[in-house]
Amino acid sequence: MNTKLFKYSVIAILIGLFTNTNCIAQDNEAKDFKMLYKFNTTKLADNSRLLQVSFIAQHKKDRKNKVPVYEAEINFYNTSNEEDILLGTVKTDKEGFARLTLPADQTYLTDVEGYINFKAEFKKTKAIKRYKKSIAVKDLILDLNLEEIDSIKTVMVKAYILDSLNTKLPVEEADAIFSVRGMINNMPIETATIEDGEYEFEFQTNIPGDVNGIIDVFVSIEDHDDFGNVIQQKSVNWGISKEQFKEDSNTLWSEAAPIWMYIVLTILLGGVWIKYIYVIKNLFKIRSIGKELEIKQESETEK
Amino acid sequence: MDLENRKRELVKEFSPLLLKTSKVSKIWMIGLVAIILVGLYAFILQFVKGHIVTGMRDNVVWGVYIINFIFFVCLSYSGAFIGGILHFFKTPWKNSVARIVEIITVLSLIIGPIFILLCIGRLDRLHYLFMYPRIQSPITWDIIAIMTDLIGCFIYLYLTFIPDFAILRDNSTDMPKWRQKTYKFLALNYQDTVAQRESLHKLTRTMSTLIIALAIVAYSVLAWIFSLTLQPGWNSSIFAPYFIIAGLYSGAAVIIIAMYLIRKYFKLEHYIRKVHFIGTGVVLLIMSMLYGYFTFSEYFSRWFSHKIHDINLLDTLFTRYFWEFVLANYIGILVPMAILFFKKLRTIKTITIAAVIAVLGLWLNRYLIVVPTLETPYLPIQDTREEFIHYSATWVEWSLSFAGVAAFILFFMLLMKLVPIIPMSGIIDHEREQNGKPKKRKI
Repeated sequence: MNTKLFKYSVIAILIGLFTNTNCIAQDNEAKDFKMLYKFNTTKLADNSRLLQVSFIAQHKKDRKNKVPVYEAEINFYNTSNEEDILLGTVKTDKEGFARLTLPADQTYLTDVEGYINFKAEFKKTKAIKRYKKSIAVKDLILDLNLEEIDSIKTVMVKAYILDSLNTKLPVEEADAIFSVRGMINNMPIETATIEDGEYEFEFQTNIPGDVNGIIDVFVSIEDHDDFGNVIQQKSVNWGISKEQFKEDSNTLWSEAAPIWMYIVLTILLGGVWIKYIYVIKNLFKIRSIGKELEIKQESETEK
Repeated sequence: MDLENRKRELVKEFSPLLLKTSKVSKIWMIGLVAIILVGLYAFILQFVKGHIVTGMRDNVVWGVYIINFIFFVCLSYSGAFIGGILHFFKTPWKNSVARIVEIITVLSLIIGPIFILLCIGRLDRLHYLFMYPRIQSPITWDIIAIMTDLIGCFIYLYLTFIPDFAILRDNSTDMPKWRQKTYKFLALNYQDTVAQRESLHKLTRTMSTLIIALAIVAYSVLAWIFSLTLQPGWNSSIFAPYFIIAGLYSGAAVIIIAMYLIRKYFKLEHYIRKVHFIGTGVVLLIMSMLYGYFTFSEYFSRWFSHKIHDINLLDTLFTRYFWEFVLANYIGILVPMAILFFKKLRTIKTITIAAVIAVLGLWLNRYLIVVPTLETPYLPIQDTREEFIHYSATWVEWSLSFAGVAAFILFFMLLMKLVPIIPMSGIIDHEREQNGKPKKRKI
């Protein structure tokens, strides 16, 4: 009985040791998830327009568990009272985004108040129901000018829309962010409110540019009720750093190590290997002494 | 008694160990080979499918392989250290222990680095390490240290084997021809003349000092692989001496276990006596005290400084790894200490039990140094899958780990078939010293 108990205990321990406790199946049915379907539009610096849908499934209980909806077909429309014009169909990528970029010369239907109406629609499938979202934006024009006025580097922006007679109508009020291009993200340099369609400020003189001192300056309006996202960009030679970064030599982070490291390593290794060679040389000496003795003994035996 | 007769007598006494393989030994060998074969299959699987078959992921990039690597390499360094000390100070009871220590040193230094190779995801790029080494990297230092140390240990081991090879060469007429030839080749014409003996003693002594120094350097370099990073739990100024003490602790413990097994299965009670266990046990006791002190200092300073990431790590250790922490740092230190501290408790069996507990505790301590730190990185883990957050070794990793241990034992048994585990030359030297009349042979 005891032997059996021991045997089964050992088997149980072995199975326990070899089992990966992380192998638990996850229940990933669509009904357990809530769909987060978001739609926005951005007018880009080259006056093209980006329509973007984000389609993410969020677990109802574990809200941190978010899964992008991949390969979902999204239809983008420009809508009016009379008709819906299909602008394009895009499938969501691995991050759950479907993006459609419309060229700068694209013409849009507008309503009586001058709004362009967009609609993004996902047609239902067996697992997921139909989703659609609409947004209405006015075509805002941002004029960004970078000029040196009386030796002062000045950033000026004009924000307006055009009516049906192409008359410029200045924006009453809009929050704008001014930034410069950075290595990873844009670096904000000024946050301001554009009033009566204009804003200007003095550009900081201590911002590094690229090799030629060129800086990319951006102005952006984000999540505006009437205009959505609008970005404008211009480049200017106002950067202070014109020299390329020179790599330090003989440091911990350079290709060549600090000199002292080579010296210490050489001394240490040299010392050890000299000792090894000395020992091996002496082993050969021991061998030759033995050989001599062997010859001597042989000659004595012969005598 | 005539020296040549005494040598013949010793060869006669030890030759059954060299020539005969008992049934138990054969079963052991078959079992060990089977474990190695399973490990080989696991290795092929890992080589073909990649690290996905292991529990290692983006964050926990080191698992039981690196723990085995540290364990074996530390074992080797401590073997070199203890072997060097025994030889250098001419310890009276060294003869029975010295060869076990030397074999442990070399074998663990061969087995250990194999585990680091298993950690490498792209083994086909291994040669890049040698083609484009970065002198600033502790990994490069470690590669250089291990290779230099391995060669040094081989030379040292060989030096201690030469007199025995000579004795076996001169008295192996009854042995198979291949053995006679091997002993003749390896004995290097050693005739035990005064000049040869003195020269060999001098060389062994020189190498023993070098081995001690090399062990300290190599130990420190191994510790720096961890402590020179900024990871919580690793970035510590006492890691190098801590590793040295931990290595010596494991070294002394493994020597005791090896002595116990060899004494029991090869019936060497006459040579490996209680005094040897008590001597090594006292070394283990001193090491357990030092190791306990270093462990306490390490965790205490982390707890007291209260840096966020250190506290996160300690929280992990005291929650998820609570029992492992208790086993490694309380039972693994205090129980051997308690057993070895009281003279009355010091028997061969209890000392061996203390050694086994010490070895298991130390292996777990290594696990707690590596895995929990990698599970609590500075930047939050992006992938929320359980296997990416928490490491759990798979059967592939376990079977390769057991294969490493099996290879260590198997090679040990095979080496014991080549030379006696008790140095015959040491016995003769000892008797020569006892007689006080060195019998010199002049050239």
